[in-house]
Amino acid sequence: MEFLAGQLRPIYPYLGELYSAAWTTLVLSLGAIVAALVLGTIVAFGRVSAHRLVRIAATFYVEFLRNIPLLVLLYFIYFLLPALGLRFSPFVSALIGMALHESAYMTEILRAGLSAVPVGQYEAAQSQGMTRFQLQRHIVLPQVFRTIYVPLGTQFTMVIIASSLASAISVDEVSGWMQTAGADTFRFFDVFLIAAFVYVVLCQLVNLLHTVVGRLLFRAKG
Amino acid sequence: MDSTVFIYAGVLLKAMGTTIWLSWLALLIGALGGFILALMQTSRFRALRIVTLLYTQFFVSVPVLIVLFFCYYGLPRLFDIEISSFAAATIALAAHASAMLSAVIAAGITSVGRGQWEAAQVSGMTYPQLMRHIIMPQAAQVILPPFVGVYIRLVKESSIAALIGYVELTQTGLLIRESTHAGLAIIGVVALLYFILNYSISLAGGALERRLKVAGRPPLGARQ
Amino acid sequence: MTASPMLRIDGLVKRYGAHTVLDGVSLDVSPGEVVCIIGPSGTGKSTLLRCVNGLDDIQGGEITVAGMPARAHSKGILEVRKRIGMIFQSFNLYPHLTALQNVMLAPVVVHGEKRSTVEERARALLAKVRLSHRFDAYPGQLSGGEQQRVAIARALATNPGLLMFDEPTSALDPETVGEVLAVMRDLAKEGRTMLVVTHEIRFAADVGTRMVFMDQGKIVESGDPREMLADPKTPRARAFLQSVMAH
Repeated sequence: MEFLAGQLRPIYPYLGELYSAAWTTLVLSLGAIVAALVLGTIVAFGRVSAHRLVRIAATFYVEFLRNIPLLVLLYFIYFLLPALGLRFSPFVSALIGMALHESAYMTEILRAGLSAVPVGQYEAAQSQGMTRFQLQRHIVLPQVFRTIYVPLGTQFTMVIIASSLASAISVDEVSGWMQTAGADTFRFFDVFLIAAFVYVVLCQLVNLLHTVVGRLLFRAKG
Repeated sequence: MDSTVFIYAGVLLKAMGTTIWLSWLALLIGALGGFILALMQTSRFRALRIVTLLYTQFFVSVPVLIVLFFCYYGLPRLFDIEISSFAAATIALAAHASAMLSAVIAAGITSVGRGQWEAAQVSGMTYPQLMRHIIMPQAAQVILPPFVGVYIRLVKESSIAALIGYVELTQTGLLIRESTHAGLAIIGVVALLYFILNYSISLAGGALERRLKVAGRPPLGARQ
Repeated sequence: MTASPMLRIDGLVKRYGAHTVLDGVSLDVSPGEVVCIIGPSGTGKSTLLRCVNGLDDIQGGEITVAGMPARAHSKGILEVRKRIGMIFQSFNLYPHLTALQNVMLAPVVVHGEKRSTVEERARALLAKVRLSHRFDAYPGQLSGGEQQRVAIARALATNPGLLMFDEPTSALDPETVGEVLAVMRDLAKEGRTMLVVTHEIRFAADVGTRMVFMDQGKIVESGDPREMLADPKTPRARAFLQSVMAH
C-alpha cells in the first residue's frame, strides 16, 4: 500500500484536475445525449414522413453522420463556428458535434420505437377525436419512451466513451487529462490505469442510475 | 479555396489508401484474435470464459483513444522499445477489433443449434473437423452483417491515429488545412471521402450477404 | 459373428444435479438384435442413448461398445462413435449441405475414404431409402419424412456396427411416419444391430427381437415383444401398454 502511494505521488497534484475533467466528461455526455434525443426525434419523424423529399433528407442525414468519424465531425464544427462568426468554447463545439453524431443513432432507435406502437393505438386515439399533436404527446411518445429506455442507457455509456475524442479540440476532459498528466510525469502506465478506471466508474454509475430510474418510472406496469 | 482541393486530390486519395490499409490490417489481426477469443468464450472451461469476459468488458468501458495513447507513449517507456505511430495505432485498433469481433463470432457459433453439434459429434468428428465443416459455415451467415459493421467502425476509428501524428486521411486533411488555410472545405472533403468509403463497404457487404443466403435461412443482425 | 455383445451397458447411473435420470440400468445388445425401448416420456430413454455415444457423461456404471469402453470426453470416444450410427428425433441434417453431401461428409472427413468411392455408396444409400431423385436438395426443401430418411442414409454411410434411433418418428406427421418405419423394417430384415427408442409399440412388436420397458430410470420388464404385449408380467408395464394401445 505504501509502495502504491509512493508510486502515485507524482500524480497527486494532477488529481484535482482529474476531478474537474471527469465532471466535464459527464456533463458533455449528458448534454450530448439530451440534444441528440431532441434532434433524433425530429429526424425520426422525418424518416417516416409522408413527403418523399423529407424522407430522403432525413435518410441522408442519418447515413452521412453514421459513416463519418466523430473526430472529423468535431474538427469540422470546431472550425465551422468561428467561420460563421460565432465565438463558442471548445466545449460547445464538442457538444454540438457529439449531439449531431449521436442523433443519427438515436434516430434509428426512435424509429424502431415508433414502429413498435401498434396501429390500433392511433385508431383508438383518432376515434376519440384527438389531434395529431395530442395523439403524439399522450399516446405515442410515452409508449416510445418505454421502448427506447433500455437502449438509451447503452447509448449513454457509448457517448461517455466517445467523449474522449473531445480532447482533440482542447476540451479538458479525462483523455485530455491523461495526455497532460502523462506528458508531465512520464508515468504513462499509471495515468492510463487511472483514466481507464475513471471511465469504468463513470459508465457503471450511469448504468446504476439508469437501472434505478428505470425501476422507478416503469414500476409494475406490466 | 476550391482549387486547393483539386491540387491535393492525389494526396488525399493516397491518404485514403493509408486509412484503408491501417483499418484492414487491424481488422485481420482483430479477426484472428476475435476468433480465438470466441472459441474461448464458447468453451467448456469457466476460466477461459472469464478471461474473455474481462477482456471484452474492458474495451466496452474504456475508450480506444486512451489505449492508443498508452500504446504510443507508455509501451516504449515500459519495455524500453521504439514504437512507430503506425504500430501503436495497429495494436490499439486490432485489440479493440478483437474484443468486438469475439462477441460477433461467439454469437455466430452459438446460433448454430445444438442438434448440429450432436449430429457431427456422433459421426466421430473431432472438434477441428466439426468446426470447419459444420459449425463455421453456418455461423458465417450470422457473422457477416455485424462483421461488416465492425469494419466500418474500424475505418472511422482509424482517424484517431491522427492524434499521435500518423498520416492517414484525417491527419492529411488537417495538415493541408494548416499549410493552405483552406479551412473548412478540406475537412468537408475528408468527411465526404470517409462517407463514400464506408457507404461503399456497407453496400458491398449487403451484396455479399445476399449471395451467402442458404435456402430459407434469413440473415440476421444490425450494424453499428 | 462372435457371441460377444455389440453393446454392453452395466449398472449405468446418470444424474442431472440432484435428479437421478438413470438408476442402475444394465442392458446387452447382441449383433443382429433389434432392441426396442418403450416407456413413459421423460424416463431416461433418450438419455440412455446419449450416454452410449458420449453426448452425456455418466456418474456410475460402465458402457462398452464392440469391446471398447465408452466415456464422454475421453480420447476413445471418437473410435466408439465411428462404430455407431445415430438417428435423432429432430433429424439434425446439416442445412448448408445437400442430401448427397450430408451422406458423404463423415466417410470422407472422419474415416478418410476416397471421395469417388463414397459418392457411389452415398447414391446407393439414397436409392435404398427411396430418395435418389432428391440427392441434390437441401434439407430445407425436404419434408420431415424425407429428411429423416436422409438422416438414416447418413448414419448408414459409415458402415456402423450399431444403429441407434432416438424416437425417429416422434417429430413426423402421421402420413410420413410409415415411410420411415418401412426403411427401418428393411434394415432389421438385413440383420442390422439396432437399438430403438420409440413410441410405436406395434412396430416394436412386429420388427423387434426384444422389447424393453423402462420407467423412472430403471428397466422394469424385458422380453419377447409379442409375449410382452400379450401378457405383461409387471403391473407398471401392463398399465403403460393398456393406456398406449387404447389409442
